[in-house]
Amino acid sequence: MAEQDRDSGIYVGYLPTPARDKRFLRVLIPVLLWLGAITTGLVAWRMQDPGTGVWNISNEQTWEGVLRADPYPLLEIDGAGETEIVLLVEMGKFGPERARAFDGRRVEVTGFELERDGRRIFELVPEDRAISALSDAPETQTLVSAQLGAVTLRGEIMDSKCFLGAMKPGEGQGHRACAILCIRGGIPPMLVTRDASGNASYYLLVGTDGAGLAPDALDRIGEPAEISGELTRRGDLMMLMIDPGSVRGI
Amino acid sequence: MSVNYRWVQWNRHKRVYDATAVGAIALFIGAFVIVGSVVYPGERALSGPILLLRAFGVTALLLLHIVLAIGPLARLDRRFLPLLYNRRHLGVMLFFVALGHAALVFLFYGGFGNRNPIMAVLAPDRALSWPSGLPYEKFGFVALMILFAMAATSHDFWLKNLTPRVWKSLHMLVYVAYALLIAHVVFGAMQSERSVLYPVLLSAGVIGLGSLHLLAGLREVSRPRNAEAQLGVELAGWIDAGRTDAIEDGRATVVCPGSGERIAVFRDGDAFSAVSNVCAHQGGPLGEGAIVDGCITCPWHGYQYRAADGQSPPPYTEKIPTYEVRIAGERVYVNPSANAPGTPVEPARLEGKGDG
Ligand code: FES
Repeated sequence: MAEQDRDSGIYVGYLPTPARDKRFLRVLIPVLLWLGAITTGLVAWRMQDPGTGVWNISNEQTWEGVLRADPYPLLEIDGAGETEIVLLVEMGKFGPERARAFDGRRVEVTGFELERDGRRIFELVPEDRAISALSDAPETQTLVSAQLGAVTLRGEIMDSKCFLGAMKPGEGQGHRACAILCIRGGIPPMLVTRDASGNASYYLLVGTDGAGLAPDALDRIGEPAEISGELTRRGDLMMLMIDPGSVRGI
Repeated sequence: MSVNYRWVQWNRHKRVYDATAVGAIALFIGAFVIVGSVVYPGERALSGPILLLRAFGVTALLLLHIVLAIGPLARLDRRFLPLLYNRRHLGVMLFFVALGHAALVFLFYGGFGNRNPIMAVLAPDRALSWPSGLPYEKFGFVALMILFAMAATSHDFWLKNLTPRVWKSLHMLVYVAYALLIAHVVFGAMQSERSVLYPVLLSAGVIGLGSLHLLAGLREVSRPRNAEAQLGVELAGWIDAGRTDAIEDGRATVVCPGSGERIAVFRDGDAFSAVSNVCAHQGGPLGEGAIVDGCITCPWHGYQYRAADGQSPPPYTEKIPTYEVRIAGERVYVNPSANAPGTPVEPARLEGKGDG
């Protein structure tokens, strides 16, 4: 080839590549590709475990229970043992304001289940059929809360929906902006603590009066924090009554 | 070269280059996604968008390391020059991978709520605490904007219209973007990830890139300043470029005058000519090029200049400064005061064949 005869020994883009460079590239390119793929693979391999949260987004279900608007819209479901408390949320990053109208009623709710470590949360379908009252009058009986005394706990404030399975992982630095957005939108906030072996405990955060916190009350969402408050138990749900101003960063 | 601007002046090398780069990006993203879904399968699986946005982020950072390593590598070893040839396409692809990462972040972390998705991520209403409260999202965003400015102005049209100096400074901002991205990762993902692998990999990247730049820089700095000729009045102030037989045919030696640009002294057969070492295209090192088809050819993108007058052969119009050359005894001397770009200078010829 005439072109090849003019091989200048340097690489010029519009001329044939010199043989020396070709040999070099034939080794270099595969090496680069392998190294790159191994690097991204390694990074993926060592990621933190996102946990076992599951979002049954393809399986619409219906549950029956007593709806309470306080501290956050939730469903009390009677089972074999203690009453299960299931928080209700909307699609997206919103709390279910419409559920408050059913306060105290026995209802049937339709939506999708999120579940992690046995703790469930229901995401309502957007249509009106999401909640239908089964009784006209509020239930007279209310669940009594057990006061468990003052505690100081260390953990991370998260939005219950993402952490229980809507986002995986639904915690940590990358997720923080999302957690703030969720809580500001009315998703109930939780404190998640972990014991030495990594097992998580969940505490629903409420005001000192036991009512729900305003969506913009909390700071230090998604970062290590220390919180003091009164521990309460309602059904199977632990609640921490706190003064939102007392949350401290660690 | 520059007569008219087309989107891209394609040739086979560019096609092969781009195809390889796209393949590499797909491979890196694919490796991340596959490994990520194998280590955490079933109920432990990461959300698809999060797995993907991580894959894009990691791949973008890896690509940035590669892009930044090519320059010094090519200086240290010419065999890396083919990677430099179409580096700007790699830069544009890097921008798009980073954009993919950002778009997924805005959509999934910032979307579906009661705020503008971009503001929800960039300006979350949170108290600032050290170090986890640092606005690492903003670091990433500013870096993305720099990458965008670079990708948008990567075409030669902008090089011409912004003037090479402005263009060059704009493109030096890539180092600012690099620093911001390292901070983005350190104060972002690495605040919640616990594996030691991450700090190890990241330091390896930073130290590796740093040393490559240092090595390439040292090589430049350690080039000896060429001494002035000691040959009486006639050559007073001229610079000694070394022995004539030390310059390979078709190649150059680079001369560092006390001040001003470096000078490339080329040999073409028995003729010696000197031009500025700085290519009029993107400032590539002409002295590391060669004479191809009778023209001085830049090692970066192959712009060509006639040795005799520093002008690109028609139809091209680039011009570079030329210098006077003499041969005295067995040595070549250069007058360090530059002629206006494109000035014809008679080459100096070896003994017995005339002296310009
Ligand atoms: S710098 Fe592009 S050809 Fe010289």
